Parts: sequence; structure tokens; C-alpha cells
Amino acid sequence: MAPLEPAPEPLVEPVAGGHVTLEGVTWRPFGRREPVLRDVSLTLPPGERVLLVGPSGSGKSTLLRAIAGLLETADAGELLGSVTVDGHAPGTRAGEVGLVLQEPGAGIVAATVGRDVAFGLENVGTPRADMPAAVTAALGAVGLAHPHDTPTSALSGGETQRLALAGALALHPSVLLLDEPTAMLDPGHAAQVRRSVAKVLASHPVTTVVVEHVLGPWVDLVERMLVLDGEGTLVADGPVGDVIREERERLLDMGIWVPGAPPPAPLTSSALASASLGAGPSPRRTQDVAATPMTVERTVRLLDGSTRTRTAAAVDIPLHPSPGSATALVGPSGSGKSTVLLALAGALEPATGSVTAGSDPVADLGTTALARRLGWVPQWSSSTILAGSVLDEVLVASRALGEETPERVALASRLLADLGLGHLQAADPRELSGGEQRRLAIASAVLHRPPLLLADEPTVGQDRHTWAAVVGLLAGYREAGGAVVVSTHDASLIERAHTVVTLEPPTQAPDPEPPRPVLAARAGPLALLLGAFAAIPAGIVPDHWRTSLVVFAVQAVLAVVALWAAPGSGPRPRGRLRRVTLRMLPGALGALSVGWSTWLLGGHDTTTAVTAALRVLVIVLPSAVLLPLVDPDRLGDHLAQRLRMPSRPVVALAAALQRVHTLGEVWSEIALARRVRGIGVDRRRPLALIRDLGTVTFGLLVRTLRMAADLAVAMDARGFASASRRTWFAPAPWRWADTLLVVGSLVPLVVAVLLTRA
Amino acid sequence: MAAQTDTSATTDGTTATTGTTTGAGTARGRSILATRPLTGWRTVDILTIAFLGAALGIAFWGWGVFYNGPLSAITFGFAPLGGLFAGPWFLAGVVGGLVVRRPGAALFCEVVAALVSMIPGTEWGATTLVSGIVQGLGTEIAFALLGYRAFGIAAAMLAGALAGPFAAAYESFTWIQDWSLAWKVAYAGVLALSGAVVAGAGGWLLTRALAAAGALNAFPPGQEHRETRAV
Repeated sequence: MAPLEPAPEPLVEPVAGGHVTLEGVTWRPFGRREPVLRDVSLTLPPGERVLLVGPSGSGKSTLLRAIAGLLETADAGELLGSVTVDGHAPGTRAGEVGLVLQEPGAGIVAATVGRDVAFGLENVGTPRADMPAAVTAALGAVGLAHPHDTPTSALSGGETQRLALAGALALHPSVLLLDEPTAMLDPGHAAQVRRSVAKVLASHPVTTVVVEHVLGPWVDLVERMLVLDGEGTLVADGPVGDVIREERERLLDMGIWVPGAPPPAPLTSSALASASLGAGPSPRRTQDVAATPMTVERTVRLLDGSTRTRTAAAVDIPLHPSPGSATALVGPSGSGKSTVLLALAGALEPATGSVTAGSDPVADLGTTALARRLGWVPQWSSSTILAGSVLDEVLVASRALGEETPERVALASRLLADLGLGHLQAADPRELSGGEQRRLAIASAVLHRPPLLLADEPTVGQDRHTWAAVVGLLAGYREAGGAVVVSTHDASLIERAHTVVTLEPPTQAPDPEPPRPVLAARAGPLALLLGAFAAIPAGIVPDHWRTSLVVFAVQAVLAVVALWAAPGSGPRPRGRLRRVTLRMLPGALGALSVGWSTWLLGGHDTTTAVTAALRVLVIVLPSAVLLPLVDPDRLGDHLAQRLRMPSRPVVALAAALQRVHTLGEVWSEIALARRVRGIGVDRRRPLALIRDLGTVTFGLLVRTLRMAADLAVAMDARGFASASRRTWFAPAPWRWADTLLVVGSLVPLVVAVLLTRA
Repeated sequence: MAAQTDTSATTDGTTATTGTTTGAGTARGRSILATRPLTGWRTVDILTIAFLGAALGIAFWGWGVFYNGPLSAITFGFAPLGGLFAGPWFLAGVVGGLVVRRPGAALFCEVVAALVSMIPGTEWGATTLVSGIVQGLGTEIAFALLGYRAFGIAAAMLAGALAGPFAAAYESFTWIQDWSLAWKVAYAGVLALSGAVVAGAGGWLLTRALAAAGALNAFPPGQEHRETRAV
């Protein structure tokens, strides 16, 4: 690495704000008759700070994307009018318009904090030597003091949003766009993010647009306010105080949280009240789910097949929600509120303690038995939509339980009408707004009258309308005899609870000292891959099983060397033999099957068959030893810098590999959503099992594609689209260990060639 | 699958209002093509292929466990039969090609999927990646032969089918080296059949379902879906 600059300079220099002009901007996504934005014209002088508000679905995020020049990044449509920043198209200079997305983590590109902030710098070709200082400065500007090698997955939601802000700042934006940056955060983290924004704006007076529907905390930070109506037309524009005063009624109608206005009256649903839960002909609907004091662990499965387990929640009192009661789980983020709900829903089995329904562990209940006992509403309802129309979605569980009576269907219609979704009965639930999806999710969880409802942060980030609907639904459900458990930070919701359970982040057992790496782990990803590939010719060349056997023996000796613990401090790595054996198991089966088919189809010759079987073992053994050691992050670095592969696909590949382990969580969430609504995997129906696996995989693909689209927007906002001469934050050295490993891997091939020739 | 929607998508001829070019093509209907130039990959194209490949790679790995366990017990008596169940491996290439519709999309997607399914450990070790490259090439060549202008069900089935002989040719150097030529040819045929049905027709249906779920709005299939039912 080159030495740092001798004199400490401010590395994120103050940048003048950008001059933003929109003229007659109209945007109609293909396939929609009505535009999302209509004839929006507007000028933002340099350094102005603007709050942009509007009802849910009014095109606020779309307007931000238009200002950033990213409308067509993840959507296709018809764009009229013009957008300029300082007289040119936005984004002409990479990173000129910084964008922070609503969902924390949606824009995270890399596995570590340092790399993530440096992403934009890499795109514009900043020399590597200049990066660490620039990264430190950007992190400092948002008040994050984490070391550069902190894993991004270890950050809280609020810290993740500040990381995104730092990533934007590293490119010296002249315009900063914040898309509901705190909507998904608890109040503490939301305040943290706002403080960071205030700090940044104090030192970097750039033009800023914030989208929010909770106005209070932002009014002191901004000067001007813009209001979009439901049709995507700009209807108010002026100094923030004046607009709030003059447009108060309109804003309240839009569902916006206006400072000083009391919370709306919870909506009451006659449909819910008539669906009485307590009394009635179904004795099986008694609330019998109870938990003893418990600790719950969560396990992350990593790409190399290893797992990481940590204690995610500890509850020191028993929970037995009684009919008609409301329990609020509160505590800072990371204290395991969602985890406790998952344990109550039977998706996680407690490590100590138990969650039972009557005498059975909840985790052991069949899918319909579970649906009869409880409903569950996840925090992000969009990923757990199961049906093709709103009405079908509400009826999923009733249908699975064989209760789809005409009365139930009529009840569903009434409930939807009460929630303001009546006109959408035939619509595709995936096309609803976030607030509408939230209301639908709760309606779907309660219509079949389970005696217990678990709701994860049901009001977070919701506008006044959805808030009133959600709070009203929960209250109505409780009055009808249901028990409610919510995780929440919402003071008005906590006020309404009978029992408040405060969770503390569980104390983690101190991490055991990491074991010494094995010798082969000193090699980089390319050498490891080469080593695994060298086995292919080594397997093919031998034409007799005796040669193959010798080659295999040589490989086995080399495997022992490769897996030898490297010298150094720390305990010896454990379970090496077991892991390799486990990974060889499929290979051994494959060898058996190849050997047999060769005997059958290759002239019933035993020698050939044994040779073919050994060939498989020779090909697979080095893979079983070496491939788990490939670090996906470093793989990207090496493919681009050593093999000179095109950098954009390589970066995309690295980003995807980096998120593979989150797919497991998405998978379990979708599976749980199906299970609690009575259509989950049922071991007694093996054919349905295959169909279920297919549907869950489909849900996973949909979610993955959304991730990709969001990440594309975030990456383009940081200059990825024009990254032709990219530099790299991390070097990709070729070391002695790499050479040694490759040479060693070639030995079996040489042996094979020599013995075959001889 | 729940996401299957209308049946009008294949028969409509009313795709005229879009800004992108439409091309003549498949047996039924027309395919909307990617924005020009075809080699001008947008960020969302690259990321979608990478993420789609990664998710399908995990599914591949799961299918591999099933394929290696229960299925090989069934097909143990007669190996070429196993080829009937090989179609899912070609799915990533077909879906990648159908979604992004740019040169290289099919190959890239299949390779990512193979890479992701290889790292957790499979029956085939490092050869998984080679298989992915070879099968992806077969699929890619099919789309290339059609000039990247046809993405209907027929094109998808051709793409899925072509992966079969490529896979068989490669495997004749590794796993099935010692089979008689006749069996190798038969095996290639079985792979092609499975590829056409499972990866081709299946991939086409999957792509349509993804479009109907609103997950492909930035891509031609999403546009095809939306033009058939403007809201």
C-alpha cells in the first residue's frame, strides 16, 4: 500500500449544492394507463433542503429516482419532460446525486463496511492508496467509527442506513436524496440517522430532498416542502411551516403524520366483531399456546456449508397470552422481539425452555393444526403473499381448514370493505401499496379466527390511515376474544397493551478463539479452484483402475497435507475429517452409480466399471477438500484483477454470492407464512410436498429479483453504470501458497500421465 | 402455481405502444426484445442474472440432493433414465435468456447457478462448473441461432433441448466414457427431451409466472405481461 498523504486534509471537502431543474416530467410505466408522475415542474436552488410528502403510492420514490436519473434503471416506461442537475443530465458525474433507499441493507454491496463505502470510489477509478482515508472520512461524517473490516451484516438497521449515507458522501454528491430513510427503524435508530443527516448537512450544504410521512422530526432540518397528490401532481410547494399550516387538512387526508395532530381514531370493523372468537361452536379454538422462560438461538448457514449460531433472544418470564389480552414485546433492535414471535409460531425451537400448545411443542404441530391455533403477521408483508387475488389471499387459511362457507366469504368481503380494500378484491395483492399489503396481511391472519395473533412491528412506517386500520383491527380482534402479541416500538400501541415484556439483547457467549486455519486456506480462491479443476484430467487420463487407485492414494496424502493445521496460535481446527467425509458421501454414491451404469452399458466389463467408479472419486476428492475454502468475496477480487474478467459482471456475482446466505432466511419466512395459514409442508402428503417446495422456491425467486432491482438502483446511484475503468479496494495478490497449492495439485495428474504412458 | 394468470399473452398482437422494438419470432405471438444495443447491458440486467443464478443455484443444490438420493435409487437400474430428470439443471440458462434477452445472458446465468451449487459441495465437485459452462453454451447457442429475436415457448424449448447434447458430449469424456456409442447417443436424446420439457417449457412458464408476479417489470417479459392487461 502507498503511504497516506503527509498532511491531514479534510478528505470529504465541502461541496456546493447542485441546481436541480425538472420541466414537465411525466412518467408512465409500461402497462399502466395512468402516469405515476404528471407534469412535474420544479427548481431546487443549490443547497436547498426539501421535504417531499404525499399519500402512499403517490410517486414520491419515483420522483426521487427521476431526479437521480435512475427511472429506467429498474423499470420500463414512457418518460416525458426533462431533468437537469447544474445544467446537465443527472449522474453525468458519477455519484453526483446520492440516494439512500428505504429498506436498510437494500443498497449494501459488499461484505465489509470499508469495501461498501469504497464501492463508488472503485467505480470512478480512485487509486487504491487513496481509498482508506476517503472511506474513514466518509464514515466519520456520518458518525460511524467502525473499523473497515467490520462485516456489514453486523450493523443494526440504523447503522446500515448511515453506512448507505457514507457510501453516497464518499463520491461528493451535490444532491442528496433520502427515500423514507427512517421508516423501517425504531425511534432510537431513527433519531440516530436524523442526527447523522443533520451533521452531514451542517458540514456539506448540498441540495437535499427527503421523503417522509412523519413530518415532526424533519421540519427543523428542511426549509421547503413539496406535496404530491395521489395522482402524481405537485399540489403544494412553499416554506415548510406555511405548507403545514395551510395544507393541514389535505395532509391529514393523505394520511401524513402532521406535527401536533393527535393519532387518528382506530378504525372499527363490524365484520370482525361479528366473527366472535371466544364463544361459538368451535371448542378447538381455545388459546393454549404458552411459553416457559426461554432462550432462542438463530443459525446462519454460510455458503461453504458451515453454520454460525448465536443466542438471538432470552425471555425470563413465562408467556401465556389469555383471551382478550394484548401483550407488547418491547426492547431495542437486536433484543430478539421478532425471534420470540417466531418461537411462539413454532418456526424456531427454543434452545432452553419450551413453547407448547396444550401438551405438544408448537414446532411439532401440523400445518392445519397450527393455523387453527395462531395467526402471524411478518414485518415485511410483501414477501409472504400467497394468492393471486386480494379476496383469495384473505381466504387462504379458511380454505385450507375446509371452512370456506358462503358466510365466511361474505365476512371476508365485509372485512376488506371495512379496511378500505373492498374495491380491490379482484386485484393482485402484489400490486397493492405497502400500507394496503399490511392491512391485507392482518386481515388474512385473523379471518379464520385463530385464538392467538402474533404481529411483528405492525405499525412501523405506516401512514395514519393504515395505522388506524391496524390498531383498530388488533383492538377488534381482541374484543372478539382473541389474544394478541405484538413486537413494537410504537408508544400508542404499547399504551394499549395489558402486558409489556421488555427484552434485552441477550448476552452472547464470548466468541471462542478462532481455530488456526488449515494450510490450504492460505491460498487464494483462484489457486483453490485450479487445484480442484486439476483433478478432472487426473481422473480422465488413467485407463486402468490400478492407475486410478495410485492417483487416488496420492491425492489422499496431499489432502492430509492441505488440511494440516497451519502453524500459529489458537486451537487446532476441529471436524476436518468429518467435513471431508460428509462432502465425499455424494461423490461416493455417484461413483457407485457411474460404476454400475458403465458395467451395464459398457459391455459388462468389471475392470472398466471399477475404473469408471474410481475416476469419479479422483475427480471429486480435491473439490471436497479445497472448494469449501473459497472465500466468495475474494473470488470477485481475483477474477477481476488476476484473470481480468469484465468487472461489472464480476461485481454483480460477488454481490449475489455475498447475499446467498440471506436466501435461507427468506426461504424460512415464506415457508412459515404458508405453514401458519394451513398450506405448509405436510409430511403426510408427499406429493403436495413437491408442489409446496416449488411454490416456496418461486416466492424466493420473486424476492431475489426485487433485491436485484433495488440493488441496481443503489449501485447506479454510485456510478456503477459508467464504471469502465474500475479500481479495487482490496488487492488480489498471488502468493507462494498459491503456487505451492497449484503445483501440489498437479502431482496426481503427472502421476496419472506417467503411469498411463508406462 | 398461484401466479399463473391469463391466457391471452401468447395470442395478442397489441404490443405496439411501447418504446422498445418488437421482432418477429416465435410460433405464436411476438417477443418484445431488450433495448438496443443488445450488448448494452444495464446494471439491472447484470444483477438480475447474477441473483437469479444464485437463487437457482441453491435450488440446484437442493435438487442435487434429491437427484443423488431418492432418484438415483429409482434410476439405478438403468442410467440413461436418469437423464429424464436432468432437465432442471438447464433451467437457469433458459430463464436467464428469456428474462434479459441479451447475448450471454443464458450462459452467465447457468454459470452462476453452477458455481453457487458447487461451493456447498455436490456429487460432481468442480466438474459442476464445467457442466454449467457447457450446458449454458448449448442454451446460449439456441438463442443466438434465433438471432436473439424469439423468446416464445418454442424458442425456450429449443434452448432447453440444445443443452442436452452439449451436456452429453461433455459427459462422454467424464462420467459415461465407457458406454457404447449407441447408448451415448440415446442418452443425449433423453437429455434433450428432458431439457425441452422441463427447462424449456418449464422455464417459459416460470418466466411468465415471474412476470405476472410483477418481478420482471424492468424486462421484456414483464412488459409483455403488462401490455396484455394494462391497468
